[in-house]
Amino acid sequence: MIMCGVDMELLERFILAAGRAGAHVVRTLDRTALVDYIARHAEGPILLPNFAVGQRLRLAEALRESGCIVLTEHFRAGAAQASAGITGANFALADTGTVVLDSTDEALRLASTLPRRHFVILDPHKILADGLAAVGPLRVLHRRQSPDFVAFITGPSRTADIERVLTIGVHGPAELHILLLEGISDDPLES
Amino acid sequence: MSRQRSRDYRARIDAALSATRQQGALHRFGDAYLEARQKALEDLDFEALREGIAELKDEVGRHRQQYLDQFIELAEKAGAQVVRAADAEAANDYIVQLARRRGAKLAVKSKSMASEEIGLNQALRTAGVEALETDLGEWIVQLAGQRPSHMVMPAIHMFRDEVAALFGQVTGQAEPADIEHLVAVARQQLRDKFLQADMGISGANLAVAETGALALVTNEGNARLVATLPPVHVVLVGIDKLVPTLEDAMRVLQLLPRSATAQALTSYVSWIRGPVPQEGPAKELHIVLLDNGRSALAEDSDCKDALRCLRCGACANVCPVYQTIGGHVFGHTYVGAIGVVLTAFLDGLEPAAELVKACIGCRACVAICPAKIDLEEIILQLRRRISDQEGLGFGKSLVFRRVLRNRRLFHALLRSAAHLQKPITDSRGSIRHLPLHFSSLTEWRTLPAIADKPLRDLMPAIDDQLSAPRLRVALFAGCATDFVHPQIGLSMVSVLNRCKIAVTMPRGQSCCGIPALYSGDRQTAVELARQNVRELLADDPDAVVTTCPTCTAALRQHFVALLQDDAQYAESARRLAAITYDAAAFIAEQLPDLPAAAHRGTVTYHDSCHLKRGCGVWKEPRQLLDKAGWDLREMDRADRCCGFGGSYSFASHPEISREITKDKVNSILRSGAEAVAVDCPGCLIMLRGALEKRGLPQRVAHTLELISEALEDAGEDTI
Repeated sequence: MIMCGVDMELLERFILAAGRAGAHVVRTLDRTALVDYIARHAEGPILLPNFAVGQRLRLAEALRESGCIVLTEHFRAGAAQASAGITGANFALADTGTVVLDSTDEALRLASTLPRRHFVILDPHKILADGLAAVGPLRVLHRRQSPDFVAFITGPSRTADIERVLTIGVHGPAELHILLLEGISDDPLES
Repeated sequence: MSRQRSRDYRARIDAALSATRQQGALHRFGDAYLEARQKALEDLDFEALREGIAELKDEVGRHRQQYLDQFIELAEKAGAQVVRAADAEAANDYIVQLARRRGAKLAVKSKSMASEEIGLNQALRTAGVEALETDLGEWIVQLAGQRPSHMVMPAIHMFRDEVAALFGQVTGQAEPADIEHLVAVARQQLRDKFLQADMGISGANLAVAETGALALVTNEGNARLVATLPPVHVVLVGIDKLVPTLEDAMRVLQLLPRSATAQALTSYVSWIRGPVPQEGPAKELHIVLLDNGRSALAEDSDCKDALRCLRCGACANVCPVYQTIGGHVFGHTYVGAIGVVLTAFLDGLEPAAELVKACIGCRACVAICPAKIDLEEIILQLRRRISDQEGLGFGKSLVFRRVLRNRRLFHALLRSAAHLQKPITDSRGSIRHLPLHFSSLTEWRTLPAIADKPLRDLMPAIDDQLSAPRLRVALFAGCATDFVHPQIGLSMVSVLNRCKIAVTMPRGQSCCGIPALYSGDRQTAVELARQNVRELLADDPDAVVTTCPTCTAALRQHFVALLQDDAQYAESARRLAAITYDAAAFIAEQLPDLPAAAHRGTVTYHDSCHLKRGCGVWKEPRQLLDKAGWDLREMDRADRCCGFGGSYSFASHPEISREITKDKVNSILRSGAEAVAVDCPGCLIMLRGALEKRGLPQRVAHTLELISEALEDAGEDTI
């Protein structure tokens, strides 16, 4: 895959904003480092849906080799035991530190909503400036398939409903790990 | 009926005023919110962005049918079932019937103010369906059997110990009042419910006409579960949530979270187009487009801007009345300023009547609204409609129609009051105690006495002022300067004379009419506007200068609007508006640099609501004070209302004013300044009265008085 260089300015902004929103942003050097990070932080069974980058990295195999328990189907039944979910990202927004995930496939939605930890694999080539820059690819996603469900995810699940005290992880993931890995995808239509 | 209603409302205000823990929480929230919001907006041009939102929302308002049709067509094409509900009953019927058809026993809900508006939970319960709120705040409020007291933070009026007690009833064991633990309890208790539910019900923040998609803007992640886990998803969305394009949706997303919770973006924004496939039975997506009074609002030319509302809650966050009495009293389904307006249109004028009067008119909400809605103006309009319907009440009616419209009578009564009050007035010209049933008015502040001689009797003749003035301005004093604090007017003459400007005070001027207008008596306001336009322009002055920002707003804005259809006066009203200035802004422009002034002491500046937010003047008085040798010590929230609000603090809601004034006095004391400068005689009356009654030494003065003293001490005749 031939790609031009990563826009470092956008990348820095993204890392700053995502961090501010409470996400852990990790720059991983290669597949081994990425798998190692997930294996060290998953703390239990992992929901691994089918997505392009996951396939390309042969994640299921690599994670199992690292000793992880990996579920690839029947997520509704498996969610209660699962400790983490892994997805890719179609693209990301620098100004808010947001990852955008076409989660029309139910497995992607369950993996990113039910477990306590959500690992998102993002190629830094896919970072856009802001919401207005996202309109183009969002429009294409909408046109490509119908019906569809696109999620903007910014940091972990949070609430301040009791005495305005910020508390993390009410109904969705309490941890959002964004794993940056260069050279795996530059296509905003795949995750 | 309205009298009983007023009594009931007053009782609810009293109860809210004794809930001091809530007041403390809402104040801390308001302060923290402002700081965080400012940070969230620091790189953005808020004025330009909100102008954009106003435009796109107005575009939808103008072509409502077209965008609705487009949205419905595309949402249906994506597989959603769309229904238009004219009112609450139609929406409830559809959802209840659907629940019946699907044999639903349990519906999980994410937060939807529209569902609160139509009483959906009750309708479902009656049909044997349990509607379970899953947003943490909504769940707390549901367990407590209450309604949300804020649109974004429904349980902001409650505390961790109360939540622990409620959750203990659910779990059957004592739950510690630890917030992290309580949040974990909610996660654990509600997780299985999501998986068991037969139906998910949510609202939506945006309905995008271009794509037929709905956007849900949330933080907790419950809306994603509500949309994903049950086989049926019902979205109840007001037709005001329509936006034309995805670009427009992104514009809303730039300001909505920043205005609501001071976040750059919420944790989740879900774009849902049609029923996405799932394991098990085929997914259904039902979209209920709710009108329920919205079309009527769109057709109402005076109030239609309220349909721009994004439901961010900012107007409540900054509202001194909300902070004092909370959303259960200053609101209905929706709370704060927008709540007042929506109540009138969605529930009717009767339930809105007391709320409309409870607004103090400080315009804090207008300044913060991300959709640029002039909430104060709409509330005034509603006040007029209610007084048209219910009458002004005998007292007000007598004062406005018989007295205020007749200048000679009004001024004669003020003069005789100056004589009659002598036995209760102290040496400083303040009334410290009033007898009998008026005593509550002086419990917490002194009241200024009517001056012995009004300004109109004290004005130096123009020939005695200057030999060769370079400009000739007419002073519009307003009642408070004329009859209560004439020294403000004399200070102005002295300062302007030193700028080689002569000042006249046209004798036929009368009350600006704002008290009548704000009480809903438009006709009296029109007659006063005519009198004042005629008198002020009679000698063709170079400028008209006022010492009261409320009067400035009257001359610059209200007269023009009141007289726009008056063939004889419309043009003159526009001319008057064009040459009217607030004193501070006018003098800042006319007064050249002073020689280095002697240090006069420390002063803190209080921004009058109508000067800062009504006239956009706030830098100028500070510059003048600095020039005059005063060392400025900013107080916190300098532009928060002082609690005066005209007749609000005397007649309609003195008990709320008292609390708002207390906040302001505390800010003044924390500033450590020796003096307080204000540019509004109303603020002057309020703050001097409150400080005097507490025996505090800080001096409260009009900026003009401080400038005039400094110039006199500098000793130069002219500059």
